[in-house]
Amino acid sequence: MLKVKIKNIEFNSPIIAASGTFGYGDEFGGFVDLKKIGCIITKSITLEPRIGNKSSRIHESDSGMINSIGLANVGVEKFCSTKIPSLNKIDSKYIISIAGRTIDEYTSVLKNIEKFDGKHVGYEINVSCPNVKHGGMEFGVDKDMTFELTSKLRSITNKLLIIKLSPNVTKIEDIAKSCELAGADAVSAVNTFQGLAVDYKTGKMILSTTYGGVSGKAIKPLALAKIHKIYSNVNIPILGMGGISSFQDVIEFLRVGSTMVQVGTLNYLSPVILSSFYNDLRSFLSKNNISNIASLTGRYIEN
Amino acid sequence: MRKIISIAKIIWSMRNWSFKYIKWRLTTAYPGGWKYAMLHPLELLKDLKKYILWCDSYYKDIKRKDA
Repeated sequence: MLKVKIKNIEFNSPIIAASGTFGYGDEFGGFVDLKKIGCIITKSITLEPRIGNKSSRIHESDSGMINSIGLANVGVEKFCSTKIPSLNKIDSKYIISIAGRTIDEYTSVLKNIEKFDGKHVGYEINVSCPNVKHGGMEFGVDKDMTFELTSKLRSITNKLLIIKLSPNVTKIEDIAKSCELAGADAVSAVNTFQGLAVDYKTGKMILSTTYGGVSGKAIKPLALAKIHKIYSNVNIPILGMGGISSFQDVIEFLRVGSTMVQVGTLNYLSPVILSSFYNDLRSFLSKNNISNIASLTGRYIEN
Repeated sequence: MRKIISIAKIIWSMRNWSFKYIKWRLTTAYPGGWKYAMLHPLELLKDLKKYILWCDSYYKDIKRKDA
């Protein structure tokens, strides 16, 4: 009933734990029912370890969150030797997120991971992190650079190749089209919107980097619009994301064109909420005589 | 009264958090993770208070939508 397929990979449910909000997966074992989550996407891995940005780097805002973590991660070497073996044991499929400053860095990370016996089903390429000084988003805002990067990575792996798109562009559908033409299997849309928080009394910027990425409920209508634009222009699956807070939101994202959905900020609220969506979605489908959740993708009515 | 009960529930729900999970949360929030948190206890307490109030407000919004 909740099974969905992308390329030749079948997922138990359309719900994905978004990168950066579910650690390396093993931190949640024992108190979260991972079988009810379709897939976990790891923290973005870079060539070298990164400590991330200075504190303060998370700000809980009224309607979501602004973060500027800055891709803190253990680096590809340690990831392969210590994290992949434990990820291989978790009760869910997993995808590895990759980030870099140059095309060579992205390809080196991917090649390093490919050498290891990981059970991961694919890669999500983070070309849209707004919180690092160099790289990341520079790729995600340029369709030619996105095309070049995607083509290079496509030639290295046969696993699922998913490009995570930035919403901080004028025409997201053009970037998505580049990904499709370069051989990507899917796109994730959207990453965080650029935002800022300031203390009204002192005038001090709250985040150490001034700007951060806004996520959570606040961005949901913006994300839905971006996904609809992509769906109208490309034929590869979309992993929709941006402020999903309930199973009703999941269905809205599917209806505007997502094949699967990613949930991020909500995992900071409670690590167990995500698995509760599984039962909620099942009962919604039963009550409405829908046999397969995949049939909801793109099922909307124009006014 | 509603707020006190709600906050108590949020704190109670954290009892299942594993040490590994808490360590990851601190690594995400601070450069240096738990070591930074131990060296800056006031910042940790301030952030924890902000986080719990944020959870309360977020839950309230989600419930409003369900209703």
